[in-house]
Amino acid sequence: MSRADCVLRWFLTLFFLAFLLTYALVSHAASLPAPDAETLLKRSDAFRNGWPAYVVNVKITTYEAGRSDEEHLYEVSQKGTDKTYVDFMSPREKGRHLLMLGDDMWVYLPDTSRPVRITPLERLTGDASNGDVARTNYAVDYSPVFLRNEKVGAVDCNVLELTAKRKGATYQRIVYWLRTEDARPVRAEFYLTSGKHIKSATFDEYEPYGGKTLLHKLTLYDEIRHTSHSVLEYSEATQRKLPDKLFYQGRADRF
Amino acid sequence: MKYGVLISGFLLLAGACCTFAQDAASSEGGPLKTRYSVSVIDDATFYGNLREPLPDVLNQVLVEPSFSLRYQDRLSFSTSLIGVAGTYSDNYSQLRVKETYASLSAGDFDFTAGRKMVRWGTGYAFTAAGVLDPPRNPTDPTDRLNLNEGRDMVKADWVRGRHALSIAWSTAALAPANADLHDTTALRYNVLVRGFDTSLIAGHDRDSDSFGGLTFTRVLGQAWEIHGEGMWRDQAVVLLGGKFTMHSGVSFIGEFYTPPNTAYYRDMSISPLAGRQHYAFFNASKSRLRELPGWKEWDISGSIVANLNNHSSTGVFDVNRWFGNHFSSYMHMEIPHGAKTSDYGAAPYSTATSLGVRFQL
Repeated sequence: MSRADCVLRWFLTLFFLAFLLTYALVSHAASLPAPDAETLLKRSDAFRNGWPAYVVNVKITTYEAGRSDEEHLYEVSQKGTDKTYVDFMSPREKGRHLLMLGDDMWVYLPDTSRPVRITPLERLTGDASNGDVARTNYAVDYSPVFLRNEKVGAVDCNVLELTAKRKGATYQRIVYWLRTEDARPVRAEFYLTSGKHIKSATFDEYEPYGGKTLLHKLTLYDEIRHTSHSVLEYSEATQRKLPDKLFYQGRADRF
Repeated sequence: MKYGVLISGFLLLAGACCTFAQDAASSEGGPLKTRYSVSVIDDATFYGNLREPLPDVLNQVLVEPSFSLRYQDRLSFSTSLIGVAGTYSDNYSQLRVKETYASLSAGDFDFTAGRKMVRWGTGYAFTAAGVLDPPRNPTDPTDRLNLNEGRDMVKADWVRGRHALSIAWSTAALAPANADLHDTTALRYNVLVRGFDTSLIAGHDRDSDSFGGLTFTRVLGQAWEIHGEGMWRDQAVVLLGGKFTMHSGVSFIGEFYTPPNTAYYRDMSISPLAGRQHYAFFNASKSRLRELPGWKEWDISGSIVANLNNHSSTGVFDVNRWFGNHFSSYMHMEIPHGAKTSDYGAAPYSTATSLGVRFQL
C-alpha cells in the first residue's frame, strides 16, 4: 500500500468518524424535548413581578420622530396576579387612578362624576396602553406554546407564542422571545384579534432590586405609526404589604 | 380689588402648600406622605343673541388648590378649595370648599368625616341613584370648571374582597341656602359579581322621602360597556346607558333617562303639570387625535342632550388642547334649541361659547 493510500484511508476514516459524531450530536439535539412553555413563561414573569405584593414607579417617555415629546409618571401597586392599582402622577393626569381586578378594569377620572368601566379596546390606547402598565403577569392571561429556538442579536432565545386565554388579556396574541439561559424577556410582538401587528417591544435593561433582578427599561414600538415609540422605565420596586381594600372597585377617592 | 386680594391669598396658600409638599416629598417612603395639586383657570363665556338685558360676557378666574396628607396608611386628611372671582352684571368673589375631610382606616373599616364627594351613581350625564352625588349637568358632565362640591357627612365603609358596605349620614346644615338639600341617611351595598359592578342603595331624606334602588355597570365583549340605575323615590326613576369604543379610540356614549315630575327631580324650567319627563343624551369623543400628524395634543367631543317631551335640545361642542405638561386651553360651546318655554329652549341666548386657559401643577 502506498503512503498516499494510507493517508487517504486515515483521512476517510477520520472523516467518517467525524460525520458519525456530528450526526449523533445533531440527532440528540433534535430529539431533545421542547422546553416547557408554561414554566418558561412563569419564570419570565418573575422578571417583571418580583414579589406577591409590591409597588413600583413607572416613567413612560414617548418619542415622536425620534424626539421626546411626552413624559408620564405612574405608581403601580400590584397584589397577586389579578389586582393592580395605578396612580397617575403627572401634572396633566393627576387625580386619575386605574384599577384592574381580574378581567375588569376601571379608570377614575377627576373630571367625570364617576368611576368609568374600561372596555378591552380602551386598554390599547396610546403607545403604552393601560394594559401594558397594569397587566404584566402573562402566565395568567395567556396560553403559551413553544415555537422555536432563535438568536436575537447574540442572545440565544426560546420563542413562545402566547394566545389570550381570558378576556382581560390586553392582546390576542404575543410572540415572545425569552433568553434561553434564564427565561429573561428579550423581545415581544403584540397582535390584535384581527391579526394586525400593533406593537413590538424590546426589554432593554434589568437591574437588581431587593435581591432580585427585575426589568428596568422596556421600549414599545408602534407598528401602526412607525415614527412613534415609548420607553418605560421601572424604578424603586419595593415589596409592600397591600391591603385588599386598596383594590376595591367602589372607592373613587384615592391618595 | 376685593377679588384680586382673594386670588393673591390663594396663590400664596397654593405656594405654601407646594413648598410644604415638596419638602415633605423627600420623606417619601416614611410614615407621612403628602400630595398637592393647584389648578388655575381663566374662563370667558360669550353669550350670543341675548334675549334679556344682561352683559354678553362673563369673565371668571378660578384658583383650586388641593392638598392631602396621609399618615401610615391609617390616617388621612384632604382638602380641596375653590376660589372664584368673576365679572358679569356685578363683580363677585367666592370661596367654596369642594372637599375637606379626615379619614381613619382600621382593618376592614374606613371612617370619614367632613365634606366629601361620593359618587354612587353610574350615569354619565344623568343620575337616578346618586343620592349623595354632586348634581349632574348633562351639558357639562365633566364639570369643566370643577365647581361641584361634596356633601357634609360622616361615613363608614366596610370592605372585604369584592363586597363593600357603606353607611353615610349627611347634613344639609352647611349647604348653600339655594341647594334644596335635606339631611340624608343612606346605605349602599356594592359587589362585583360575574362582571356586574352592582350596588343596592337605600335611605331616607329627613322631612322628605325614603328611597331605594340599584345601579350596575358591565363590560360586554371588546367594545361595549352598559350601565344603568333604577330608583324608587315616591315614583320610579330609570337611567339606561351604554358606551361603545372603536378601534380608532373614538368613543360613543348614549343615555336614556326618565325622572318623574316630582319636586325632587323637577328641573326649574319644567312645569309641575308637565308629567314624567324623558331625556336622551348622546356623545361622541376622541381624546388625543394622534392619528393626525401634529394633532396629538387635541381632544374633541360633541354631545347632544334632548328633552323628548318638549322637543328641546342643546348641542355641545368641546375642544381641548394641551401645551406641555402644565398648560391647556379649551373651547366649550352650547347651542340650545327649542321653544322659549321648553327645557333647553328657555336659555336666554342662542349660543354660549366659553374660552379658557388652564394651568395645572
